[in-house]
Amino acid sequence: MSGLKSVNHKAELLLEAAESGHVEEVAAMETVAGCVTTFDPGWEVDPFGGVASLCQPMEADLYGCSDPCWWPAQVPDTLNTYPSWQEGKPSAQHDWRELDPVYPNTDAVFPKK
Amino acid sequence: MHWRVSSLISCGVAAAAVLLGTANAAPAAMMPPAVARAGLAAVQAHCSACHQETAPGHFARISEERKTPEGWAMTIFRMEHVHGVTLTAKQLRIIIRYLSDVQGLAPSEIRAGRFALERRPNHAILKLPYNLPVMCGRCHSLARVALTRQPASEWLKLINFHVGQFPFLEYQDGSRDIHWWKIASTQLPVELAKLFPLHSVAWRRWRNRPPADLAGEWVVHGHAPGRGDYYGTAFITRTSWDRYRARYVLHYANGAAFNGSSAAIVYTGFEWRGTGTLGGNSVHEVYFASTNGARIRGRWFLSGHSELGGDWDAVRTTGAPKVMAVMPRALKVGTIRRVIVIGRGLGGSVDLGPGIHSRILARRPYGLILSVHVNADAAPGYRTVRVGDVQGSDLLAVYRHVDRLQVEPAFAIARLGGGTLAPVDAQFQAIGYTNVHGAHDKVIAVRLGAMPVTWSVEPFNAEAAKREDVRFAGTLNQDGLFLPAEGGPDPKRQFSADNTGDLYVVATRRTGNAAVVGKAHLIVTVQRWINPPIY
Repeated sequence: MSGLKSVNHKAELLLEAAESGHVEEVAAMETVAGCVTTFDPGWEVDPFGGVASLCQPMEADLYGCSDPCWWPAQVPDTLNTYPSWQEGKPSAQHDWRELDPVYPNTDAVFPKK
Repeated sequence: MHWRVSSLISCGVAAAAVLLGTANAAPAAMMPPAVARAGLAAVQAHCSACHQETAPGHFARISEERKTPEGWAMTIFRMEHVHGVTLTAKQLRIIIRYLSDVQGLAPSEIRAGRFALERRPNHAILKLPYNLPVMCGRCHSLARVALTRQPASEWLKLINFHVGQFPFLEYQDGSRDIHWWKIASTQLPVELAKLFPLHSVAWRRWRNRPPADLAGEWVVHGHAPGRGDYYGTAFITRTSWDRYRARYVLHYANGAAFNGSSAAIVYTGFEWRGTGTLGGNSVHEVYFASTNGARIRGRWFLSGHSELGGDWDAVRTTGAPKVMAVMPRALKVGTIRRVIVIGRGLGGSVDLGPGIHSRILARRPYGLILSVHVNADAAPGYRTVRVGDVQGSDLLAVYRHVDRLQVEPAFAIARLGGGTLAPVDAQFQAIGYTNVHGAHDKVIAVRLGAMPVTWSVEPFNAEAAKREDVRFAGTLNQDGLFLPAEGGPDPKRQFSADNTGDLYVVATRRTGNAAVVGKAHLIVTVQRWINPPIY
């Protein structure tokens, strides 16, 4: 890095990270980590059958999944089916506990207690 | 009981159904005429505004499908949620009841997808032909597909609905690698209608049978992973044409009480759906009566934790003598044990084979309680259990040592929980095997059943070790039950990752200095917010 000179704020941060020994974290942040059409990290398991390459924390991109209906079997889509699912919960990182499961009548076929 | 449908409405329905060649027809035997009339009236009142009644009892789209009670409940949920239908709980039940009987599935038609109705965890997706594993299996277990019957025209409409409702579906389904829409809109509906057609001989025959009366006294046995085998008696009484109450006097194999009770609705003449308690826990029951009403099998599970439950197998206490099960199912040489032989009509003497001496301690409605002495030189292997004139094979084994442990399930998923979502636990059990030499010196692995072991977890690979998954993902107790950690970003992990993990679940059985070890693969993963009755 000694031969390079930072010319913008982002480059300055990278330089600082290099000096403090956090280059690996910066490298990780540079990878495409969201659910985009060119890269499927998987929901339950990653392409390698594990969890290490999942998009994590999942909450960082949860609304990026629900908005475009990316995981229609796991995450309620706000595009068509559950438009108000995340209403009043602007931050998945902080509000994930308040997000309701759908299918309230899962037990409709059973007699009431 | 057998009801004759004689009302003008019902006759009209039957005539129209024959005329139109649909699956809809008057439920001649399944339900009483008054119930059929109420069900039809409910569909007319709440569904026909969109689903035109083109002939008496024939509704556009609705009459072109057959489903399980759960399948109809899911359809109605979508109608409520997406299309604004409003139903009271009572109206919902009337419509599910009616459609399940008029347009349900025959016993043979639910066989493939039954695991999903029973909410069995960690079940592999169905092996279906054509492109179905890719086209449907990337989101569904395929039970959802296999538990639906409709013509190609309706399958095509379902595919059209998927594309409109879930626009990114094409990417998820592999559309970058295949001509997705061409396959989805041309091949797929035809293939699905071939596999799962609206009309079937099985359904035509089944819907005209009167439902069996399941009231009576039943011999029960079952196995709850992590909790053990159980046995006893069920007392079932019929409270109306489709409702039952049951009282269970059960015991675990070690003698501990495991009593309970339930109230149940029987749909489609054989699909028992119960709510009750077992061993002090709230449970739901998904059982299936045999076509002659002589046997009830299925799975019960804890309310709110469907991944935890047990198998259920019951036959009437009256009938031909039968040996059903032996508990424990494996006896070590040189030991004296209390053994229960589960069955009915078990008279006469007991013979467990050479080297095993037994004494009858008590006769019960559910079988025999024995004191059994296994000689030190008794031959290992499966034993035939003979009681009087009846016998059961492979129900009991003798072993000298455990040669192998197999952890079941071999692959499991647990899910993080927290907030409004309960975690999904994972229950393991260690199945012991002993090797015996058969004919031509062939080694036969004899299954001994669940064994007591010491449980532990290990990282599945180097990445899991580096991420410290063992530390973060949850805990495994000494009953083989894995309890996942809480969800949400964890600031203690790198990048504040969730508490996911990639683990080995390890069972160890020590005898002196020797140890037998078995392993399973456990993925601890993130939540899912869509949890329908059938995936």
